[in-house]
Amino acid sequence: MALIEFNDFSFKYVGSDSLALKKVNLSVEAGEYVVVSGPSGCGKTTLCRAINGLVPQFHRGYIAGNVFVDSKSTRENSVADMAGITGLVFQNPSNQLVTLNVEKEIAFGPENLGVDPAEIRKRVEHLIHLLGLEHLREKHPHEMSGGEQQRVAMAATLALRPKILVADEPTSNLDPQSAEMILELIAEQNREGMTVVLVEHRLDVVAKDASRLILMNEGSVVADGPPEDVLLMDICQDIGIGIPKAVEVFKRLRSKDLHLPEVPMTGEDLVRIFREVVEHDSA
Amino acid sequence: MSFLEVFQYTRQDSVVHRLDPRSKLVMAIVLAMISLLFMNIVPLLILLSVLLPLIGLARSLQRWAKSMSGLSVLIVFIVIFNTLLSTVANPFSYSIALSLRLIALMSSFSLFFLTVHPDELSQALIQMGVKFEFAFAMSMAMRYVPTLGQEAYAIMDAQKARGVELDRGNILKRIRNIVPIIVPLIIVSIRRALSIAESMESRGFGACENRTYLEQLKFTRHDWALVLVSVVSFCFLVYVRFYLALPPWMSWGLPF
Repeated sequence: MALIEFNDFSFKYVGSDSLALKKVNLSVEAGEYVVVSGPSGCGKTTLCRAINGLVPQFHRGYIAGNVFVDSKSTRENSVADMAGITGLVFQNPSNQLVTLNVEKEIAFGPENLGVDPAEIRKRVEHLIHLLGLEHLREKHPHEMSGGEQQRVAMAATLALRPKILVADEPTSNLDPQSAEMILELIAEQNREGMTVVLVEHRLDVVAKDASRLILMNEGSVVADGPPEDVLLMDICQDIGIGIPKAVEVFKRLRSKDLHLPEVPMTGEDLVRIFREVVEHDSA
Repeated sequence: MSFLEVFQYTRQDSVVHRLDPRSKLVMAIVLAMISLLFMNIVPLLILLSVLLPLIGLARSLQRWAKSMSGLSVLIVFIVIFNTLLSTVANPFSYSIALSLRLIALMSSFSLFFLTVHPDELSQALIQMGVKFEFAFAMSMAMRYVPTLGQEAYAIMDAQKARGVELDRGNILKRIRNIVPIIVPLIIVSIRRALSIAESMESRGFGACENRTYLEQLKFTRHDWALVLVSVVSFCFLVYVRFYLALPPWMSWGLPF
């Protein structure tokens, strides 16, 4: 069984008229880097919540189908049971920081799960070093910038040693520089072997690292595949997904009958591919 | 309200800061009770001459002085009204003693609050048997007060931009003006609370009966010494106060 399995999963929040997720079928293998995108209200957040059991354990409502994460059904296991498997980073950084300093924040999760204090200390030191939080150690969350807060929130999530890192628009409240830093950290985690599910609309930044792109609309998965395939589909225009400029260039060239050998994700990609084509032709 | 600053934790590295909150609590309570035992100027001055070096040891004299100057208006008020209205024999002397007692009381507790980080306080409560959830609720309140304050200002600005005149009109109108601030603030706070709860759930809050703690407070020899000194001096002073007469120089007062 795959690490994350959605089997015909549907969900409707209490008090809502429409399904937030409609018969979603999805399987994610260990080590994948999945980017989820789609217009607002399309069910991305609900999808994230379903992976760590907040749906249906915390947010109640109508459910059909099943979600299995690491072979555990989210219907039968509490969010706390899933906490060691799925780590969820949320959109609003300040709502994720519940203690008065960074060390306590990182320790909060493992403390809750009853991890041995010596081991917690090790994790705290490791993560403070890894995410460059040395100068923040003793700071109150209120004294930090949004980017710093989100880095601390990441550290606090990683302290649980999850198998899956799910991040729900972690950069939407941040300035571009902090946002890139967070996204780079996430990509780094994936290179180290972490399975990543990232909700993000800045595809020009994340598409190059992602192994898979999922588009959602009105509660359903409408496209699913490698980014270079999905980004060429017409559905992107239909649901208003902003595709990377380099892909745009690729498509324009193609419409003029100029075929590049591969789909570029970034400006650098595009230059490299151009150079290869030009050098190949002149040789 | 600047006199309240003396109850706000300040990050310092001092002997007093390093003591266990529990021993400091004992000390603060003992000092406060001693200041309530005496109603004469001399013993209260002696008490203050013990308190001030302690606050100095906590490297917070400056903050203390600032708070006390903020308090001076209130003290002048107490002195004037007591002198004029009190029926005791020497009203001025009496009101000076009252003010000294107020200062001593505040200083005793400030010694605790100045030097105990809210985190240490909740950890101390937990180790004294308070349930983690309650202690944590207290530290979370500390965490979110500034955030809520910021939010309140943002809402005020937004409402002003829409033409709500917050600081115009008579008292009734001003009270009514609070409504467009409070209602959105409550709604925003409820939403925030939900999202905080989600985040805490996701990190296993309340998952495990045997929650561990990164740092446990430890009672050191210094702490035991402090508790011992506090309790012994308290017993001694109670004895002096109730079973021996104060020597005349101690009960000295101003003649008016």
